[in-house]
Amino acid sequence: MTGVGTPSQLSPKSPHNPPVKPDARYAALEAMYNQAIAEIADMRSRDALKTQFLANISHDLRTPLTAVITHAEILRDGMLGPLTDRQLESVRGIIAGGRQLLDQVGEILTYARGAADQLTLAPSTFKFAEVVHQVVSLNESLLGKKNLKLTVDVPEQLPPLFADREKVAHVLGNLVGNAIDFTPAGGRVWVKAAVRESELLAEVGDTGIGIAMEHHEFIFEEFAQVDASASRQHHGTGLGLTIAQKLVELHRGRIWVESELGGGSRFYFTIPYSKDAG
Amino acid sequence: MTAALRILFETTGRRVTVAHTVAEAVEKGCSDPPDLVLLDLTLPDGDGLEVPASLKRRGVAPKAMVALTGRDDPESLARCSAAGITAVMVKPVPTKELLRRAKEWLA
Repeated sequence: MTGVGTPSQLSPKSPHNPPVKPDARYAALEAMYNQAIAEIADMRSRDALKTQFLANISHDLRTPLTAVITHAEILRDGMLGPLTDRQLESVRGIIAGGRQLLDQVGEILTYARGAADQLTLAPSTFKFAEVVHQVVSLNESLLGKKNLKLTVDVPEQLPPLFADREKVAHVLGNLVGNAIDFTPAGGRVWVKAAVRESELLAEVGDTGIGIAMEHHEFIFEEFAQVDASASRQHHGTGLGLTIAQKLVELHRGRIWVESELGGGSRFYFTIPYSKDAG
Repeated sequence: MTAALRILFETTGRRVTVAHTVAEAVEKGCSDPPDLVLLDLTLPDGDGLEVPASLKRRGVAPKAMVALTGRDDPESLARCSAAGITAVMVKPVPTKELLRRAKEWLA
């Protein structure tokens, strides 16, 4: 063994071998450093490829899924002949399942586009209160099913936002969806908003199971679910908060949580009132 | 998706021609001019929005050309409107609404 880097050569105390000159050690370190840089670059490019794959595959999955839903709707609407009540119930199940799957595929697509920095803002001027009403009405049947009470405290006279309406609705939808999902029957969910300094500050709170302090940062990480076991009660892609964070940060806003286990959760996010969002 | 839409319109007594590429849509659109065109924007050989301009150049003028798309962000809407699209509907298109609006377009 005479190669550079063998223990005997690198040891300056060896009586038989003269110590390696600092220049040679620097060269060896530099080589290792360069190799690490190359490996990181390689991993990044593989990661980018995977993200692109995820974006492509989720886009391609939408096409057959929309076809399934449309075929089922044609049957549901009796266009190919009347259905019995049980057939109708079954077809409605196909539509509901298909739409749920389509939503989840949509979440993965948004996540992949966000991770690949392919999300852009299409800002317009709108009232936050309108977005709140839209999200609340989309969730009304779910709230009824779980016997949850939702209260809204969003003044109509708040100054209008100049932001990407669809993305703000997406953030609010994900937070309200989580609040409903993680709050046991009979609980309460609320949405509040106010102007603080030059930002809109929105709050989505619930009286649900809450989140332990040590998980407050973790829950915003991709695919993170505090209970990741197969028997977990709460399903989903695990991307809802990651996407919410991405979309808020795209607007140069902030998102955070205040919660403790058993004490409900309050998620906050801000959207700046500046014209140069994004 | 084309099969579902074909069934949908055939049940209302319409004659339906299906094309899977921009080239096929232009060719079939010219040989048998349609009253209504339903367009997917992502086609194997190009952008679905090339179809309206190509048909127009060949003197084919359907009563309505409707884009069926996955996104209705302002940018996509502007592109559709510039290409001469009558309306944009987000997939999965609600079948009842599509038929109701088709009646208006074809009136």
